[in-house]
Amino acid sequence: MYVLDKSQLPSFLEAMAAGRTVFVPAEAGGMTRFVPWQAGIQLYWEENPVISPKELFFPQTQVLYGYRTLGQQLEILSRDEGNSPRVIFGLRPCDAAATGIMDDVFLTKGYEDSLYRSRRQNTLLVVLACRRPGPACFCTSFGLDPTRADNADLMLYDLGAEWGLEAVSPAGQDLLAKPAGPVERQAAAPEFAGDFPLEIKVDHLPSGLRPMFRHQVWDIMYQKCLGCGTCTYLCPVCHCFDIQSHNRGVQGYRYRCWDSCMFSDYTLMAGGANPRPTKKERVRNRFLHKLQFMPERYGKFGCVGCGRCVLKCPVNLDITQVANRLAEVVANA
Amino acid sequence: MNPITEEMQQIASELLTAQEVKCVLGWEKGTLWYQSAPAFIFSPDEASRLVWDEFCLPNLSSYLLDDRYSQDRVAIFVKGCDSRGIVRLLSDQQLSRQRVYLIGVPCPGMKDPAAALGQKPGDTSDLPVASKCRHCTHRNPVLYDRLLGQPVPEVEPSGERFAHVDEIEKMGIEDRYAFWEKQFARCIRCFACRNVCPACNCTYCCFDLDEPRWLDKEVAPSQNAFYALTRAFHVAGRCVECGECERVCPMGIPIMALNRKIIKDINELFGDYEAGLETSEQPPLGRYNPDDPDNFA
Repeated sequence: MYVLDKSQLPSFLEAMAAGRTVFVPAEAGGMTRFVPWQAGIQLYWEENPVISPKELFFPQTQVLYGYRTLGQQLEILSRDEGNSPRVIFGLRPCDAAATGIMDDVFLTKGYEDSLYRSRRQNTLLVVLACRRPGPACFCTSFGLDPTRADNADLMLYDLGAEWGLEAVSPAGQDLLAKPAGPVERQAAAPEFAGDFPLEIKVDHLPSGLRPMFRHQVWDIMYQKCLGCGTCTYLCPVCHCFDIQSHNRGVQGYRYRCWDSCMFSDYTLMAGGANPRPTKKERVRNRFLHKLQFMPERYGKFGCVGCGRCVLKCPVNLDITQVANRLAEVVANA
Repeated sequence: MNPITEEMQQIASELLTAQEVKCVLGWEKGTLWYQSAPAFIFSPDEASRLVWDEFCLPNLSSYLLDDRYSQDRVAIFVKGCDSRGIVRLLSDQQLSRQRVYLIGVPCPGMKDPAAALGQKPGDTSDLPVASKCRHCTHRNPVLYDRLLGQPVPEVEPSGERFAHVDEIEKMGIEDRYAFWEKQFARCIRCFACRNVCPACNCTYCCFDLDEPRWLDKEVAPSQNAFYALTRAFHVAGRCVECGECERVCPMGIPIMALNRKIIKDINELFGDYEAGLETSEQPPLGRYNPDDPDNFA
């Protein structure tokens, strides 16, 4: 393993940031999220940042192209390809796993989303191994290991006074070969300690959910949902988007932006029909998407147990409670 | 067991057994010890889920909008602020009084769940008062069919209700603009503030309209400001100060500072006024007086 005194981290990040953008977890603008590293920035290591790193591959608002008319002429303006090299430094194994799921969604099954790909293929992941579970964590329910990520380029370990670094990919190895870089030394990865506060029992999922689309359990489950987009927008896996135009006078641009299946207009059709007319259908869709449709399509659950929705849902509509209730119904069926 | 909890469970059970109501809205313990979540109780044997503790922050009144055309009678537990939410719905004619059985619960003020995050369950006496309760002017319900326990003493206005507003007003125009720009830059437009608000009770919200699209779906400073300001002006004179918008905001935006600025202005322009106290109320911005001030300088 390579080790680096914690006081040396800024110079290491500075060297890493030469020729690329290094995103680090930090408090920024009254919120925690991944922001470009710069000298003097205060890093945030306590828990997962509220905003997940998905916005770095899949921004909440992303211009596709611009346009302008000049008389009878139409001019199409180019868009940001987003292909400059980047590193995300210090995301956790759950967010790394979520990135893997996003890769499946945007890059497999016969269509590659070029906007996603250009950002993703130029980004290296430096994944921080967790040492303890957070207050609403349940990643192990989905078979994830909180101390490592298969898609990491570099694993980062908190060794107390030092950071431990272990290359997982050749690109990760290159990151270590910096002048101000860490030195190779014998060191053990820290132990993970503590019990996970929450758990989803996945034994009956997803197959047990197939006959449950019309089950009466949904008549109760949705009641307290506010129909807001907090869960979907903070989720590192939710990936629905809309495409809209912003037109002003003779110019404008077309953009895509996050959308939420919790919103009434999400499935609204021209003419006013809506196949998911109430919160019941929307809540059912959100949970079945994560617990049944995603595993059926990608072989992975659409949840990584990061706990953001559990902590931030204003009415505690908690996916672990929902999933375990569904499992109970399936088991008793 | 907390005697209020016990009484809540008993009343809910009685009302449901007698089929006087179809559903009882209250609170139950959530996933984490400092979460008390909205509970919908449909049968007497579920009544034991109900709790009353220092984390019953959610205002349940806006749930009545989900079935606003239903004839089913519903019982709902209301704190002081929640009861003002009910008054809001009644004065805005979004709810008929016969449809709801109001069980008032005098509220000593809730505790701040954010301060309990990551702590072990235990003594809550050291936890600070929840932000939404800090400037409460009505701890006792203003409207109810039945009251649980004894009324609690109201807190004398401390003068701090508008302290944050005063602070922002003292900034220069550019600083003030920068302040609000920074606050709303982090808005993710989840609409939790609107959805929880009893004053946001339109059957169809202009922000959900696809055609014409008043509010662009892109998250940009201009759109975020348009959303925030339009909503603030729409609830102007009708905001019951329950503070739910700010509580539910996942981004921690000080939405109540905006609402309180408008409340303060209304007080100064039209005389002291508190919304959501009487169902027959005529909000200052909903009536016309020939002597209304028209000084916009």
